[in-house]
Amino acid sequence: MSGVAPALGAPPPSDAGGAGGAGGAGGEPRDPAHRARPATRLDRLRARRGWRTLLGSVVPVSWAVTLLLVPYVLLLAQSFWRLRDGVITHELTTENYRRLFGTPLYPATILYSAGVALRVTVISLALSYPLAYVLAFKVRRHRTLMYMAVIIPLWVSYLVRAYAWKIILGQDGILNGLLLSVGLIRAPLTVLLYSTAAVVVALTHIYTPFTLMPIYAVLDAIPVSLREASQDLYAGRWRTWLHVTLPLSLPGVVAGCTFAFVLSMGDFLAPQLLGGNDSALMVSNLVWSLFGVAFNWPLGAAVSVVMLALTLALLAVAGAVEARGRYGQVATGAVAEYAGPI
Amino acid sequence: MTDDADRSAGPLAGHDRPIVELRGLTKRFGAVVALDAISLAVRAGEFLTLLGASGSGKTTTLRLIAGFDVATAGQILMDGVDVAALPPFKRPVNTVFQQYALFPHMSVRDNVAYGLRMRRVRAADVTTRVADALDLVQLGALGDRAPRQLSGGQQQRVALARAIVNRPRVLLLDEPLGALDLKLRRAMQLELKRLQTQLGITFIYVTHDQEEALTMSDRIALMRNGRIEQLGSPTDLYDRPRSRYVADFIGETNLLRAVVAGTGAAPGLIRVEVAGGATLDVAMPHDAAWLARAGTETWVSIRPEAMTVCADGHPTGTPTPGGARPGGQVVLAGTVTAAVYAGSIVKVHVALAGDASVVAHHTPATAPTPAPGSAVRVMASADRAMLVGA
Ligand SMILES: Nc1ncnc2c1ncn2[C@@H]1O[C@H](COP(=O)(O)OP(=O)(O)O)[C@@H](O)[C@H]1O
Ligand SMILES: [Mg+2]
Repeated sequence: MSGVAPALGAPPPSDAGGAGGAGGAGGEPRDPAHRARPATRLDRLRARRGWRTLLGSVVPVSWAVTLLLVPYVLLLAQSFWRLRDGVITHELTTENYRRLFGTPLYPATILYSAGVALRVTVISLALSYPLAYVLAFKVRRHRTLMYMAVIIPLWVSYLVRAYAWKIILGQDGILNGLLLSVGLIRAPLTVLLYSTAAVVVALTHIYTPFTLMPIYAVLDAIPVSLREASQDLYAGRWRTWLHVTLPLSLPGVVAGCTFAFVLSMGDFLAPQLLGGNDSALMVSNLVWSLFGVAFNWPLGAAVSVVMLALTLALLAVAGAVEARGRYGQVATGAVAEYAGPI
Repeated sequence: MTDDADRSAGPLAGHDRPIVELRGLTKRFGAVVALDAISLAVRAGEFLTLLGASGSGKTTTLRLIAGFDVATAGQILMDGVDVAALPPFKRPVNTVFQQYALFPHMSVRDNVAYGLRMRRVRAADVTTRVADALDLVQLGALGDRAPRQLSGGQQQRVALARAIVNRPRVLLLDEPLGALDLKLRRAMQLELKRLQTQLGITFIYVTHDQEEALTMSDRIALMRNGRIEQLGSPTDLYDRPRSRYVADFIGETNLLRAVVAGTGAAPGLIRVEVAGGATLDVAMPHDAAWLARAGTETWVSIRPEAMTVCADGHPTGTPTPGGARPGGQVVLAGTVTAAVYAGSIVKVHVALAGDASVVAHHTPATAPTPAPGSAVRVMASADRAMLVGA
């Protein structure tokens, strides 16, 4: 949305070329030397620059309005409409929200989804931070290669990655096969697939690169001399990490955790494919069935709005945490900029 | 600052035992030899400068002393003890980094307090010592600022305060003034020198600026290609350069190609023949006996300010045979090609016989400046014309 301000504040295109003859008629006293002044190249350049600024901001602003603002406004409006006998009436009501908070199922689903997302976030962070640390500070040769190896899963289709876990965890799956052949189990385990754990594992696999990337980026940007200065000032490796590396990498940690949390909380395919009957009810699946199966768009919209509000609140908190890490600077962090496509 | 009095041991304390000693210190990065077996004894309380062109191994030396890198070969002794096994955080040295390396997420005060806190100094002591250190570098009022809110010069002072607050025995400084503009750099040179004398801390100071080295140092180690080309006081290096490289690196000089002809007319003088045929008696540097063999090809270095220019009596300007005079004067004949005004002096360019040329600093107040084209004699006292190695 930041494109709006410069657009409105941009100087109007200069009209120096046409101002000549009309100058006197306007009643505005003008320097006679100014009157017949032809448009200079600078004037034309300024005019063109003005148009460009205007044009350059119209595109992103209209983009944002049509693709972000309009859908959200429609969603918000939808959530206040009444469903009567399976038909949506344009009649304002808070009934959807009252039903949402009045039925234990909905808050419980949101909490359950948050629980899954939290577990994914914690595991992703636990995996990403050490890996990013080693990549950024310890690996000398083939660093890009190793980084790419971690990032490559992103290039594989989401569906392929999700189905891969079906193959691994299924009753005739790779894991069961392995356990059977080693002799740890006699009969294939059925609890592996279609469970919350399967969803958490798959989501962790899918979203860990999103945690790793920002953490690696901030760690890589920390000058070696800062860590050396810390060691020079009597701090060992552990305290150097605690007092210098960690605080400086916090923005990346916050960004990475936010990615993992928000993305996995909004995920609905992995729960659909890998979750059990109960765990298929992540909040996104709920929204999906409200819109698609129950055809209760207003209630679906209300759930979406609540989710959106929760996510924005989370982003705000993350942004604040990130800004607190920097001394003497009020910063809007990288996280805040990710508020868009949810 | 109360504790400074008992620390002002001065440069002569512990004169006999070096506080830091490098023995055959070598560092290779793959095929690159960054340091080639250097040996150096740093005296307690002295201001020692590692001077050298970029890539000569100065930073590498400091990093090995600080413990950030591991030597390929050789030893580093501190107070006679080999510190090879000590990590940086256990060595009794502190570093002022080239780009300051201030912690961006901490206030100036927390930056300065960092070392004390890591050594678990009592909080009350930390407060007073940090305040003292900030006062010492005249930043007492800026403790709450973030480093990025300070100018380059102020950041430099914070880096200094952050190091000296720990009262290290040895302070390592890597081009600490390199990022400052000339005027500020000059002021900081004097201030650093004052601090060093006042606190009695041994400074190992890295710079590529010969003027800075001459201004501040007790001793200078001039480095070249990972070796120490010459070690000595600023006057040693300036007045008695060992090699052509040293003479050229430190200050301005005139270098004349010369061949040793034999011993000179007086003790300590040596006779050489310079390009163009003139024979001169010049001073022999302290330990360059090997140069004295007849036929050795070498160089004579004469500083521009050691030369005087006077109009030649001879109308033709033919070189006077036998340039040496009984009074220990070196005399060269030539023609003025240019006289360049430079404020307090005029730089007179003189072409000599045999394609050689020199620049002499002429003081216009003492005599009229010779005009371009005129035949002149360039004279210098023999003990200021130095025979230097190639
Ligand atoms: N980490 C490194 N890897 C490879 N070569 C290095 C490294 N550090 C220094 N060198 C090389 O060692 C030599 C000395 O470098 P340095 O000590 O930084 O010089 P100075 O500080 O005098 O400019 C240079 O040739 C430099 O290229
Ligand atoms: Mg260097």
